Amino acid sequence: MTGDAFAKAATRQTLTATTFVEIVDTLVGDFDVIEVLTLLTSRCVELLDAAAAGILLADGDGHLRVIGASTEQIQLLELFQVQNNEGPCLDCFRTGQVVLHSDLDAVSPWPQFAAECATAGFASVCAVPLRLQAHTLGCLNMFMAEPGGLTTSDVALAQALADVASIAIIQDQATRDSAIREGQLQHALNSRIAIEQAKGMIAENGQIDMDEAFSRLRSYARSHNRGLTELAEALVVGVVKVDAIGPRQQPT
Amino acid sequence: MNSDQSTRLAVAFARETARSATARLCTACVDVLAVTGAGITIMGGEQAGPICVSDDRVAALEDLQYAIGQGPCRDAFSSGISVHAPRLDGEVSARWPSFVSLARKSGIGAVFAYPLIAWGAKVGVLTLYQKGEGELTTAQHDDSLALAEVLTETVLSLQDDAPSGALAAGLDDAVQYRAEIYQASGMVAIQLMIPAEEALLRIRAYAFANDQTVADVAALIVARRLRLPNDHQPETED
Repeated sequence: MTGDAFAKAATRQTLTATTFVEIVDTLVGDFDVIEVLTLLTSRCVELLDAAAAGILLADGDGHLRVIGASTEQIQLLELFQVQNNEGPCLDCFRTGQVVLHSDLDAVSPWPQFAAECATAGFASVCAVPLRLQAHTLGCLNMFMAEPGGLTTSDVALAQALADVASIAIIQDQATRDSAIREGQLQHALNSRIAIEQAKGMIAENGQIDMDEAFSRLRSYARSHNRGLTELAEALVVGVVKVDAIGPRQQPT
Repeated sequence: MNSDQSTRLAVAFARETARSATARLCTACVDVLAVTGAGITIMGGEQAGPICVSDDRVAALEDLQYAIGQGPCRDAFSSGISVHAPRLDGEVSARWPSFVSLARKSGIGAVFAYPLIAWGAKVGVLTLYQKGEGELTTAQHDDSLALAEVLTETVLSLQDDAPSGALAAGLDDAVQYRAEIYQASGMVAIQLMIPAEEALLRIRAYAFANDQTVADVAALIVARRLRLPNDHQPETED
């Protein structure tokens, strides 16, 4: 190995390690999944012999969407694949396998896509799946200026980066779901407490017992076409005055 | 077994547990972790209520923490990490004096509180009580962390099945248990013309000052045998 090549290999090794640390770091605490994926595309360009990279993810209905790209031009090329329903990314997503096309000038399985690539100055392309076990979440696309595609070790590295990114995506999804569920629980708990508080307010205001207070609350909700918990909360915060439920009685 | 498989198993277990009576969850924790007592409280902001306790002694200790707004339970919930008090002396008794005093009187030597937390969702606390002093074993600690995660999923699963906006039947005990306290806070709100939240604080303060439990004070208010004094002094006069 020449001095230059050795230095280049050492730099690449350091950058690879740094990239993994950077991505894993983002998983601790709050993180923006788009930011992580955009970081991934720019690191792919630096680490691999790729001129550009882009990421597509499937939405809830299984349709691929462009999420991040190292350049604006790639954003358009990725969009082109989705719109024309052809290209390495779609094949990769459907099969869950790496798709490597080393010469787009030769007979291409995606004639329209190959033509667009040629115009943009790309000669070969590689797509690796973003996956979680048997489930494919989307794919990472790399575009090369020269024919020949990526080496086996480059593909392996791209797949490793894609796997780390997949964890980020899954974690992001789980955290979002979790926040919604927690919010629902908190709201239900507070609403339920509000009903008891509203009963106490009505009971004291009308000098009646809790059962009577609850039936007044219920019949007011019914006759005014309001939800019981929503009415109770409105009473507790004072949006609905307790006098509206029944007249005030002085304690004896 | 890889970690994804064990997560799935835990979620399946939690869903299964959610279908059985919540009252039995504490007994299960006591058995599995081999501790003296356990309490599970669900919390939302300032509001908290036990969904189960293993015995009356634990119930009294959980009540006290709620009444005075301090103790291992609250610390574990606000910090999001487990709180360990292997001995109830020194620093611990300075931090929670009333709690430590009642715990000692009840024959409790050590307390451990684990937040019910999973994927960033925080729903309550699992508190473990030990007769003797001393740290939990590493195995007990690991199992407690795992159980806390399963219990979080159990609580969330219970709520998932509830009608929109309503509290799940299995979690209703948390409110029902303190129903009189909330009713009393509504009554005091009207009597003193203050918000219900503030009324709740007044009841807690009155109970603490008069060495009574919050539940006892609330019961007297609801029975109309006690009216809290309106001792609020306006800070400025209009």
